[in-house]
Order: sequence, then C-alpha cells, then structure tokens
Amino acid sequence: MTEVIAVHSYKGGTGKTLMSINLAATLAKNGKKVCLFDLDFRAPSLFALLKAKPAECWLNDYLNNNCEIDKAIVDLSDRVPGQGRLYACFANPATDAIRDISSKDRKWEMRALGRLLALRESLLRDKGFDYLIFDTSPGLQYSSINAIVASDFVAVTTTGDRSDIDGTKRMITELYNLFEKKTGLIFNKILEPSLTAKKKEIETKINTEYQVPMFGLIPCYCDVLRAGGTLIFAQDKPDHPFTKILFEMAKKIENNDIT
Amino acid sequence: MIKNDISNKKPLNILEKIEETLEKLNEKMEVMIELQKSLGANTQQNTSALPDVSLDVMTLLSMPDHLRKTAMTLCRSKKATAEEISEKTQRARAVESAYLNQLVTMGYVKKEREGRKAYFYVDR
Repeated sequence: MTEVIAVHSYKGGTGKTLMSINLAATLAKNGKKVCLFDLDFRAPSLFALLKAKPAECWLNDYLNNNCEIDKAIVDLSDRVPGQGRLYACFANPATDAIRDISSKDRKWEMRALGRLLALRESLLRDKGFDYLIFDTSPGLQYSSINAIVASDFVAVTTTGDRSDIDGTKRMITELYNLFEKKTGLIFNKILEPSLTAKKKEIETKINTEYQVPMFGLIPCYCDVLRAGGTLIFAQDKPDHPFTKILFEMAKKIENNDIT
Repeated sequence: MIKNDISNKKPLNILEKIEETLEKLNEKMEVMIELQKSLGANTQQNTSALPDVSLDVMTLLSMPDHLRKTAMTLCRSKKATAEEISEKTQRARAVESAYLNQLVTMGYVKKEREGRKAYFYVDR
C-alpha cells in the first residue's frame, strides 16, 4: 500500500513544491484525507505559498519532541472542492529556526527519523489519514533522506536539465534503490510541442534512460509558471490540462498502480 | 508429598537454565562467526568507529546491503524478535538473528530479554 509519498529531486527548482501541493489537493478533491508536510527546513516555502494561519507548533517542534503532531497541523480543507480533507504541517521559516535545524547532529537526525516513522501510527492509523505527502529539500540532505526512508513511494521530479540528469540517475541507483524504495519519475517542464502524440515514445525513452517507471509527464505550461506556485489547480483551474495530469497521477496512487 | 514436588521440579529448573545458557552461548557464537565473516581484516577500523554510534540514515546508507535490510526493517518496528524481522524480510530466522546480533555488537541496536524471548530495538 502506498500511503506515504516523498516528493524529491536532485536539483532545486524542478517543481517539487508545486507537485506536492497539487498532488495533495487532487487526492483531497478525490475525497481523501491528506496531510502535506514541508520538510525543506533550509528553505521553507509551504507556509508562505499557502498563506495559512500558523498552527500552534511547527514541524520543527514536533521533530524536536516539543509537541504532538495534532498541534502542528492546520486544516486547509476550505481550499479544495468536495468532501475531502486537506491538512498541512509547516516548517518554521524564521532564520533562527533554519539555523537551529541546520546545526543538528546525527543523534538528533536519528530521533527525527523515529518521529517521522511514528506519523504512520499517529496520523494514518489513529487519525484516519489516507495519505501523507512529504515535500523535501533537494539533493542528499538528512531531512530529505529521512523523508525517503519514512516513505512508501518516492516521486522524483526532474526537468531533464543537463545539470540534473546525471545526479537524478545517481540518486536512483545509490539512494532509492539502496533503500529498496518504489520510485516513479515526474518529468516536468517538457518543451516538446507534440507531447500528446509522442507520449508513448517519450515514456519508453525515459524509462530506458532512468530505469524507473514514469509517474508523470508534464509539459511546460506558461500559466503554471505565471501562477508562481500560488494556485491550487484542483480548485482554481479544474479544466486545466495540468489538473488532468495530476488527476491521473493521483489515480495511480489510489489504485496502487505503482511498481 | 511436598518433598517429592520439589525433587521433581528441580531437575526441570536446572534443564531450563541449561537451555537458556546454551541459547545465549549459541547467539554469542553466531555473532562471532558473523563478525569474522563480515569484518575480517577491518576489525580495527570498525572498533575505532564504535564510540560515535547512531543508526541515522547516513549510517544506514553506508552499511552493507544485508545489514541495511535488517536495520531498516527494525527501524520501522518499535521492538521486534528475530522471528518477526525474518517474516518481513523473507529471510531465515537464524540469518536475521545473526545480523541483529551483529548490529548489537556494532552498537547500533539494543537487545533485551523478556522471559525466553530476545527483543531488538533502536535506542532513540
């Protein structure tokens, strides 16, 4: 069963946060109870993007063992249509909080992994959540690797930029595969003008190149870029082709169509 | 009557003690065999790594594959016996017992006995 999804990438700017927010919102629109986590402690962005009221505690406090998880999540269900529930847990964007979390030692990181793993019990089993989505920081950092270890499925976002290709391949073989994680590739910002016609061909090519199944092929949409990450497409643009691609991705998760 | 009861129980108690001791010895031997196999000539290097031990993700990444699988499975459980880990990894109980004991010797995992069962856990 795929219940915890980590959205990760080798480089920054590949669209992890955009994918995380919109995948969480799409799953919620489909009637699921979802919690979205900002695990990018070095550059938190969810709190600012979602313009939410802060919860009593930050995710940092939960990982520091200073509060329980229900004090650190906020209800954003009014942002999605339908009966689904969307919650979020934010990383503290204050500079001293970023400095504090950047100076943690291995012991702390080990405990933080334990706290992330405990979310399965507290949110999935006890509080009836269907999915947890971890938006991570790029590359090989403790917080991202903790998120990967605690997840069931890693959605690797790449743009196919030259600087990103080799690193993404290396992470697949030297990180996700070593942890025996189910992995799917989100190929974002594709510039190919006839993507629909060539979809199968591109999928086969990418599958051979990266040796992981395709999870999503996303063209470069100017209006997605123009929105600057502030739109929840499932709610604000229900007929947009990007929303339709997200719906297909959410269906793959819901049908456990992930290898 | 009472005398007879005591004399009947005594040999049983002694046999149970012997069995328990033999089990402990057996586990220690398994650890020694595993250590010899895996550490070999690198014993010195591993001993020097012992003071700073924590089962964090970077440590998990640098572990040999066979130990990582056991350690990862244990990380996801609060407390588990070798039997419970072997059910999840689909490897033999004796193999998991050896790997778990190796992780204990390396300092990454703690072990405690409850009755006749040995439980392993990550001490966070």
